[in-house]
This record gives sequence, structure tokens and C-alpha cells, in this order.
Amino acid sequence: MSILINKNTKVLVQGITGKEGQKAAAAMREYGTQVVAGVRPGKGGENVDGVPVYNSVKEAMAAHPDISTTTIYVPPFAAKEAILEAIENNIAIINTIVERIPIQDTAYCLAAAKEKNIRLIGPSSLGYISPGEGRVGVVGGPKVLADEVFQPGSIGLISRSGGMTNELSWQIRKAGLGQSTAVHVGGDLLMGTTYTDLLKLFENDEQTKAVIIFGEHGGGYEFEVVEMIKNKEFTKPLAVYVGGKFADLFPEGMNIGHAGAIVDRGQSAEEKEYALKSAGTLVADTYEELVKKIKIFA
Amino acid sequence: MNLYEFEGKNIFKKFGINTPKSVLLRRTDNVGEKYDELGIKDVVLKAQVLSGKRGKNNGILFVGNASEAKEATEKIFSNNIRGQYVAAVLMEEKLEIVQEHYLSITYDTNKKQPVLVYSKEGGMDIEDVPEEKIQKQYFDIRQNEIESDIPFAKELWKCFLQSDARVVEINPLVITGSGEKIAADAKVALDDDAFFRHKDWEFEPRTMLGRLPTERESAVGKIDEGENYYRGTAGKYIEMDGDIAVLFSGGGASIANMDALMQVGLKAANYTEYSGNPPREKVAQLAKLVLSKPGLRGLWIAGGVANFTDIAATFSGIIDALDEVRPAYPIVVRRAGPNEDEGKRLMRECAQRNSLNLKIFGKEVAMGATVTALVDMINKK
Repeated sequence: MSILINKNTKVLVQGITGKEGQKAAAAMREYGTQVVAGVRPGKGGENVDGVPVYNSVKEAMAAHPDISTTTIYVPPFAAKEAILEAIENNIAIINTIVERIPIQDTAYCLAAAKEKNIRLIGPSSLGYISPGEGRVGVVGGPKVLADEVFQPGSIGLISRSGGMTNELSWQIRKAGLGQSTAVHVGGDLLMGTTYTDLLKLFENDEQTKAVIIFGEHGGGYEFEVVEMIKNKEFTKPLAVYVGGKFADLFPEGMNIGHAGAIVDRGQSAEEKEYALKSAGTLVADTYEELVKKIKIFA
Repeated sequence: MNLYEFEGKNIFKKFGINTPKSVLLRRTDNVGEKYDELGIKDVVLKAQVLSGKRGKNNGILFVGNASEAKEATEKIFSNNIRGQYVAAVLMEEKLEIVQEHYLSITYDTNKKQPVLVYSKEGGMDIEDVPEEKIQKQYFDIRQNEIESDIPFAKELWKCFLQSDARVVEINPLVITGSGEKIAADAKVALDDDAFFRHKDWEFEPRTMLGRLPTERESAVGKIDEGENYYRGTAGKYIEMDGDIAVLFSGGGASIANMDALMQVGLKAANYTEYSGNPPREKVAQLAKLVLSKPGLRGLWIAGGVANFTDIAATFSGIIDALDEVRPAYPIVVRRAGPNEDEGKRLMRECAQRNSLNLKIFGKEVAMGATVTALVDMINKK
């Protein structure tokens, strides 16, 4: 088993004719994921490497009603419209790679998605990968490299950083372990899918025996994890690294790192680690230690 | 971007939120003339800073005539308010304060929607107000207007939405003896990613580091400007006090590496990261500026196992800078990902032709661990 994706998942690519959209469609297909359609207004009837292109999500859904996941590859100023189009057409999971979407647009999309129980992963998310099952987005890069890093296993991974999703997956692999699903949740202030959303899924996933989180200073998402563990809603071993201890050198309100990494009272790396430790979470001083801490549970 | 109080109040005014009568004083202004221009006897002079508590640090002074105003203004300008650069002094009418309330709207990251926070006990940090005296209301971002009896709530909501703000705060919201409601202070942070739909956003340069942006910071800031601002980022540079130059790839890797640097006792000369597969030219501009800082003792170029960033292309940008600067100090490189063999080959060739003291690592060594190689190389010198 895995979370979010399996061999039968049918994926749509919005913005498939652009450079990034094409690259993503190719990356997913190369990894065995079924990319069944793409969307680009005005280019309906064309195809990209054999994948049919439609003018709208509605047209794509009419031709491929079994699409359950869409990926958004459009410029930031067009993202809100693209996401809302996917929501209107009831696609269950929306992965948004787009960076630098205005916060207000993200909030708007999240409000609309919530009403329909639609899951948004991102913004600024490179996607997720379940080794041997498939991937959504571009996590892992070209298949030859992804195969050096990813193999089916028992570790679930959640990361605010795309680069660190791959780096940590490599550390897992280097320790002789594998991943169940690795998810890049994105570094924005508002996260469509949070740590706790994913921990719920990992809790119920038989393949996943332990979970690693790469967190950052800013935002209150780690405190939700603390509550969840205290309420015994997540019971598997969990190792967390919270980056950004150096950020205490900077004044409150300053952004350093990803968009959501804002220096704020009550949301520093130390404060988060302290709270996580109090809930019995394995807290790593460096990201390399995460795998060492979790290895005995794999 | 965090705004100065006077900038925030200018925005408030557009949305019908009352603010005190005021004039803005710059360093070169004639305070006496400005005092007469305002035409009010009792005034308050307020340091314009981006963060920190002004009241407790002589950043807010009350005066009753022109010569006092002149003296107080000079005093505030010569001050450094908890490490913050004083960009201007705001001279305002002294209000007859009967009550001080608190009102703000910001995003609640847990509920992922805007939250309005109101208290009748304002004038202090909201974190210090007892929970039971704070009113919180969540609103649907899709509403253009809200209904509320709270003073200025409707206006502030419109201001929050239409200004693409991340935070709007009025503290204190003053009720005067005549029952007038006035925003005596303004804290506004705008969303940097919404600038494309606000052609009127033209603000003076600033940092939150108690000084104006350095030449390098301003130059790096320009790298990502223009139509393709979202295609690969290379415009992040914060100048710091240390002597180890850093070029990190990715937001997450950059903060993990900054932590690692701190843990081994080295001090960064800058904070910098590039990400999202930026083109060679952007990386070259960035690397040249990073290496232009005098007094460097080392350079750490580090990133994780990249997903789709072309290592050869981004390294080529760094190599352009290394060929030009030819640093004598130790350099450690750690990177892996697409085109890494080619990237490493180019880097080795660059090291050879410039006789650089450079060590290069791939994914066989963890990223953070390569900082110890840099420590060893620096100590050996």
C-alpha cells in the first residue's frame, strides 16, 4: 500500500504545453504513472508526446471521467483560476507546483476546496512519490536518478522542502531502507495539506512503520502534530528536524528561507522542538540524524 | 514586505480608517517649518522603524513647541531603536486618549483562513492580553465585505483584501474624549508575491536589519525582477557579519546548512539560496555578488540531491564567478542530481585552471557533514 497514489491513479496536467508541464508529464509517465490528459485553453485537439490536450478541465473530464488527480503547471498569476477550475470539476486531489502564488489566492482556493472535501497539495509542492507505485509531479527527478534514491520501504516522509525531500529520501536509501510515500508539502505560509493531514494517512497505511518530517521555523503546523500525538491519533514512531535555529539572529516579522519561514514569537525552531520533545517525538539536531533515529523502527 | 507606520496609515486612509493629523520628517527636513505646517501645539514624534518596541526605547517623544520638536527629532534620528534603522520621524497630533483597543486581521495558518482579533485592552502586545479579553472571529476569504460592530472592522477587512496584506494591525485603536475613533498606530505587511497586481506598490528600499540595504543586497534583489520573476529564483541575499560565503540550493537546504554552519562555530558572510532551476546567467550574477564581499575566509557551495535542477548549468554560473574572482580561500562543494557528473567535471577543471583550494563532494557524503571539511581546510592554512 501507499498513500495518495497507486498504480491505478489517473492524472491530468493543467498547463501541459508549457516547458514545466511537459517535463512533469514526461517525468510521471517515465515513472509509470498514467497521465491521461492535459489542459491548455486554445490548444484542444493537440497532443503532447501522445497525451491528448483539451481546452478545459471540463472537456478533459468528459473524455476521461476517471481522472482523480490533477497537477497545476501555470504561472503564479494564473494559478487561482486553474485550481478553481479543477475544484469546480470535482477532481479529488490537486497538486500545485506553482511557487509565489499570492497568499490570498491560496486561501481562496483552500476555502473552495474545503467545501467539496478536495485535497490540495501545495502550493510550491514538487509533488509526491510512492516507489514502485508512481509519482505525481517531479519529485526524484529523471527516473535513472530517482531509482538510485527511491525503493519501496516502510518510511513515510513529509518535507517542507523539495530538495530535502530528495536528499532525505537518499539518506533513507543509504541506510538500506525504503520509502512508503515521500511528500513535498511546500514551503508556503498556507499549506493545502499539512503534516497532520498526512500523518492521518500514514497512521492507517500498513506499509508505513515510521515517519520523518523536515520542518522549518515559522507557522504553527508542528504544534498540530504535538496535539495529534497527545490525543493518540498518531501512534507510530516519528522523527522530526526543525530547521532555522540560526533565524533567531533576525528580528520578528522577517522572512528567511521559504515564504512561510517567518521569524515569529512562539514559532521558532527551538520552541517547536521543545513542544515536539514533550510529546515524545524523536527530535534530530541535524537532518542527517533523522534516519539514524528512525532506523530501528523500520 | 513590512511597511513603516506612515506607509500603513496612508493605506488605512484610503479605506476610510481615521488616522491622526500628521507630517513626515526626513533627516534633511526643517523640523520647525514642518511643525508650523502641521499647526498643532501638542504633538508626538514617532520613530519609523520596521520592528521592535519604540515606546520603551525613546522612539516616541511628546513635545509642545517647535524647538522641543527639533531637539526630540534629532534625538530620535540619532537613536537606534533596538537595532532598527530610523527611516523617518512621524509628527502627529497628540490624541486625547480615553480608551485603547486592539484590532488586527491576519491569516490563521492552522485554520487557513483570515482571523480578526479584537480586544478592548489594546496598547500593549496582544500576546500579553489575557485570553478571555480577546475576541477572535474567522471569516471566509471569499467575502468581499463583512458585518461587524467592531470599530473599523469592515474597513480593515477591505483594506486586508484589496491591499493583498499578510497582516493589518491597529494597536492602539484610540477612542478619544469626543468619542472619535482613530488608528493611532499601523502595522501592515504586504504579500511580496502579489506585487504583479499592484502597480502602485513603490516603496523605499528597506531591510529589517537595522540598516539600509547594502549595495550587494540591492544588486542581488534585481536579479529576479522582470517578467520571468517566478522562473528560478536567484535573488536572495542577506549580508551578515561573518566571513564564510555561502551559496546554497533550495530553501530547506539553506536553513539546514545555516544551522550546520552555526553548529561548527563558523559565521556566515551572507545568507543566500537559489532554487527552481535558475538559468546560468542568474546564478553567475548572484555568485559574483556573493564573492565580491571583502574579507572572506571560505566558501561553502552546498545543496541536496536535486530533483530537476540542472547541476551542470547552475555550476556553470558559479564557475563564471570563480573564473573571475579566483579566490585564494578554501572552497567546499556538495551537490548531486541531474547532470552532476558534467557539473563536477566543469567544477574540477575550473579549480585546476585557477589553482583553487577546492574539495568537491557528491551524495556519498551528507550535505551538512561537508561543513567539517571546510573547517579542516580553513584550520590547515
